[in-house]
Amino acid sequence: MKMFSVSHKTAFVVDHCPYMAESSRQQVECDVLTKSRGQGMIPLAPVSKSLWTCAVECSMEYCRILYDVYPLKKLINYIVSDSEFHILNSWRQEDQSTHELMSALAAVGPPNPQEDPECCSVLHGLVAAVESLCKITEYQHEARTTLMDTADRVANRGRIICLTNAKSDTHVRMLEDCVQETILEQNKMAAGSDRLMSIQQCELVLVHIFPQGEDTLVSDRPKKEVSSLLTSEVHSVRAGRHLATKLNILVQQHFDLASTTITNIPMKEEQHANTSANYDVELLHHRDAHLEFFKSGDLHMAGSTSRDSGLKETVTLKWCTPRTNSVELHYCTGAYRISPTDVNSRPSSCLTNFLLNGRSVLLEQPRKSGSKVISHMLSSHGGEIFLHVLNSTRSTLEDPPSISEGCGGRVTDYRITDFGEFMRENRLTPVPESPDTEASGKPPAERAKAQLERYTRYWPMIISQTTIFNMQAVVPLANLIVKESLSEEDLLTCQKTVYNLVDMERKNDPLPISTVGSRGKGPKRDEQYRIMWNELETLVKTHVAGSERHQRVLDCIIACRSKPPEEEERKKRGRKREDKEDKAEKSINKDSEDKSWQESERLKGALERGKEEQGESEVIKDSPDSPEPLNKKPRLDEIQLPEKAKGPVSLLTMWTNRITVANSRKHQEFAGRISSVNNKAELYQHLKDENGMDLHENGKATR
Amino acid sequence: MPTVVLMDASLSMTRPVSLEQCSEELQRKNLAVAGLTMLFEHMANNYRLEFTSLVAFSSLWELLVPFTRDYNTLQEALSNLEDYDKTCLESALHGVSNVVQQEWGHACPTQVVLVTDGSLGIGKGSLRHSLQTLKGRPEDKKFPLPFPFPAKLFIMCIANAEELQMTDTMHNLEQLLQLNGGDGQIFTMEGQLCLKSVQSMFGRLIDEVYSPFPAVLRCGNLASDVQVFPRPEPVFLDEEIDPMPRHILTEVDDVGPGTTEEPEEETSANQQAGKVPNFCVLLHGSLKVEGMVALVQLGPEWYGMLYSQADSKKKSNLMMSLFEPGPEPLPWLGKVSQLGPISDAAENPYGEDDSKSPFPLQPKIKRSYAQNVTVWIKASGLQTDVQKILRNARKLPEKTQTFYKELNRLRKAALAFGFWELLKGVAELLERECTLLPDTAHPDAAFQLSHAAKQLKLASTGDSQYAAFDQNINPMHTDFSGGGAAGM
Repeated sequence: MKMFSVSHKTAFVVDHCPYMAESSRQQVECDVLTKSRGQGMIPLAPVSKSLWTCAVECSMEYCRILYDVYPLKKLINYIVSDSEFHILNSWRQEDQSTHELMSALAAVGPPNPQEDPECCSVLHGLVAAVESLCKITEYQHEARTTLMDTADRVANRGRIICLTNAKSDTHVRMLEDCVQETILEQNKMAAGSDRLMSIQQCELVLVHIFPQGEDTLVSDRPKKEVSSLLTSEVHSVRAGRHLATKLNILVQQHFDLASTTITNIPMKEEQHANTSANYDVELLHHRDAHLEFFKSGDLHMAGSTSRDSGLKETVTLKWCTPRTNSVELHYCTGAYRISPTDVNSRPSSCLTNFLLNGRSVLLEQPRKSGSKVISHMLSSHGGEIFLHVLNSTRSTLEDPPSISEGCGGRVTDYRITDFGEFMRENRLTPVPESPDTEASGKPPAERAKAQLERYTRYWPMIISQTTIFNMQAVVPLANLIVKESLSEEDLLTCQKTVYNLVDMERKNDPLPISTVGSRGKGPKRDEQYRIMWNELETLVKTHVAGSERHQRVLDCIIACRSKPPEEEERKKRGRKREDKEDKAEKSINKDSEDKSWQESERLKGALERGKEEQGESEVIKDSPDSPEPLNKKPRLDEIQLPEKAKGPVSLLTMWTNRITVANSRKHQEFAGRISSVNNKAELYQHLKDENGMDLHENGKATR
Repeated sequence: MPTVVLMDASLSMTRPVSLEQCSEELQRKNLAVAGLTMLFEHMANNYRLEFTSLVAFSSLWELLVPFTRDYNTLQEALSNLEDYDKTCLESALHGVSNVVQQEWGHACPTQVVLVTDGSLGIGKGSLRHSLQTLKGRPEDKKFPLPFPFPAKLFIMCIANAEELQMTDTMHNLEQLLQLNGGDGQIFTMEGQLCLKSVQSMFGRLIDEVYSPFPAVLRCGNLASDVQVFPRPEPVFLDEEIDPMPRHILTEVDDVGPGTTEEPEEETSANQQAGKVPNFCVLLHGSLKVEGMVALVQLGPEWYGMLYSQADSKKKSNLMMSLFEPGPEPLPWLGKVSQLGPISDAAENPYGEDDSKSPFPLQPKIKRSYAQNVTVWIKASGLQTDVQKILRNARKLPEKTQTFYKELNRLRKAALAFGFWELLKGVAELLERECTLLPDTAHPDAAFQLSHAAKQLKLASTGDSQYAAFDQNINPMHTDFSGGGAAGM
């Protein structure tokens, strides 16, 4: 259906003239006396609805069905006409509800039979309806604004449904002519206005209502063209249930609806709770839900029956005992909103409540052959019930190949769990629309995409590609670094994570480095840490542009990690040297690791003042940029010891340290002293090393 | 999208192709077979997942190969094709229509490839005759076009355009296309009829219709090249406002996982790459394990979802379902552009232990069946409502709240419908109930009944003081109801 078809705007014009106060002569007994009571009692006289009441309740029923099936974009403008017109609502979407209309109708009240019939006419309302059709709706406005240059593509069409009591066919013709003239007049006015649109097509549906037991003075007439702008049709209907049926048919025609009757609904009896009888419930919905039946000509086979003297067609589908699994959804080809025809009958409300409570019902197409074909499903989403169309024929998607047959299908160590966690962190939530947020930043969906971008800057897909994401210790930092902005607290957490890693390295904790693809024991531990630090740096580097605090996390890592790259290079070269030299080198490496730990401790101390004992403040000169001396181990332990408990380092100590360090550079330090702890050096370390024992044991002792 | 190959097996197909430079003698049929072989080979390599069937026709039609993914079978049937009598296209098209409907129903878009030499029969049963007698046919003898399912008709003529234009064949074929709603194309051979020209013709068909649909699936910086089966077709939204078809962008953006119809399928080709980690496999694995779906953006205001679809117990693959184009494809998700990251929310809307969900969104106004609406179109509706009031009236004062709730509901509806007579009637009924109260009744009951009756009568006058829609009749405060201060 086109967005701006005739159905976009419907103007209801209901006659409020004195003659509408006349009784419909359809009587309703509302005093139902039971046998036990009311003996010898005179029952209350039956009440009867006026023509007005009939017109109003049937038009409200039309609106109810329409709003149920089309909550948006199909608009109603309700107009009441007597000596003047009363417009009860506007085209605005928020005015579109039966409650609004009922409230306005209550304010109007029934027609006043005492009013002078001479000055009352439905014409006032019809003129107002034409004027109203020229008014632009918010949807038309929006479409025109978006289309810009091609705004003329937005059409203005509409329908006027007039409920009245006409006097004769001539009277009807007069009404038609009047509408035609008004359209021409209004179109002229609209041509010169921004807020009005001229009418391109108008459908006038005149419903003549007359009391029961009377003969009609107006004849039925199918749709005919009054002019290129206006078509008109006349329905002459008795008040009461005939009118209700007529409007029910009209709402189906006007909005492409179709009817489905759910049959065999088992329902507990009110009186006998342990028995259940089968009931039928009729639902209205968009007719596309029956497309398969229409196309196949199966309509009659599917149990189409005519009700209400052949005026109405409905497709009968059989209730299937509800199933819990919703696999069927995968072959669902469409979902359509429904509205029960008889909304407050007990079977209807039982069915709708059952569905609103989250249950689903499969519907079966009755076939003569006896084969069972499930063609539809009823289920609710967010307080709305939808009729789902299920594909009952073969699917072209059957037997798809396994994903493991495709690209990357043979890889077995995907970080499935991690990505699941990633997805959960990146789930979406509806953000209420507000003008302020729009002005201030990106729309929520763009923010969601930006978050995905940040979260995936460094995201290795397989376990063997990563070290840091396999380490519990890195988690706090990895979770925080992807954030758009870091708080001071976040920064602290990141730094703590880094110190923790330094600590691990000092303790020489094993790392979960993948040995896949490498022979033997895999890389040596210091190499492992080098890989880990490099990876951590890669991760953090992708975020440094984010904020100054992100940069500080990187600074912290660079400051804390064991070696600047040049040193690494040197170390590598060192390995190739002779055995003896190699050993010496190793002890130096070990020592420097030790020192970096000390530095981190210093930084930690600066952050958590006095919490951690601290001594080696000489590392101040140990910036990653400064060249590392071969013999950089200062021997300050004795001097430092008394100060350890004192917390922050004094200026004097710093100065002294600096001088000491400067001095120590001037001579080659003994290898033993370099690796000593508290001036005690362990002998024959290399033996231990070669036996694969923890050579950093002595490092721990400094604590 | 399944394909039906409709192969002309009439005698005219055996006409030899006059060719000087060619050593062995070729029939038109041989050319047709060569062309189709090329098509089948292409599909076996690039469209393994598509279903194809082969129908041969002359004056009768026969389903040689039902819909299959096995292109060897198709090829085999093609090479064993025998020669029959005259061409009768109408019955063959009926055949195609039946074959497709039986297999796929009416919703599945299908491609029909008709291969013919362009001599479309003579006399009764010829295309010319069929087209001339289109009008005034009885319901059960309608021409099979347009098909009852969405179909594209491709006519492969083993003839060149000049040859076809000499007779009215071209005109008739064009008419055929029009009958199908203009969906399709006529292909003719260029230059001399030979293997080369038939291959170039089928090459054009392949390029236009059977080219694969490569795309990139992106999730932030993670990306994967994918191929989409079946190929998504452009969509017309509203020919009035938006006369251009909507195409899917080939850069597919994975917006982020959200919460649950039209499936499309997606798989990656190129098997050598099985050992290189692929984002699709990762995504599929995690979606499967977590039982989640991912929202995917296919273009401006066009979305879909990705999920793991398992056909059998062992095999599963990543599926993409396309939603109707538009900013709000699923009402219970709201506008997709308004879906933001959970980190924006003050507290996790899914709850710390995943016990909650911000979905589904509830509509602003409840549907009629979800609110207690009043409809009196059937007398029974009105009777039920009145009886409900009377039932509660007899159980006063215990049922005071329900009594007034039902009374006010009836009052509202009666006022809106201008049904003042009913208000008076119910007032009388309440007064009568009052007189019928047993001696043992609570004294409050009589007070409440006469109060309610009085209020209804006042409302039935239409006096704005008493007949306001949003006003309710409140229970009367009596000494018995424990309110203390009695208010009359």
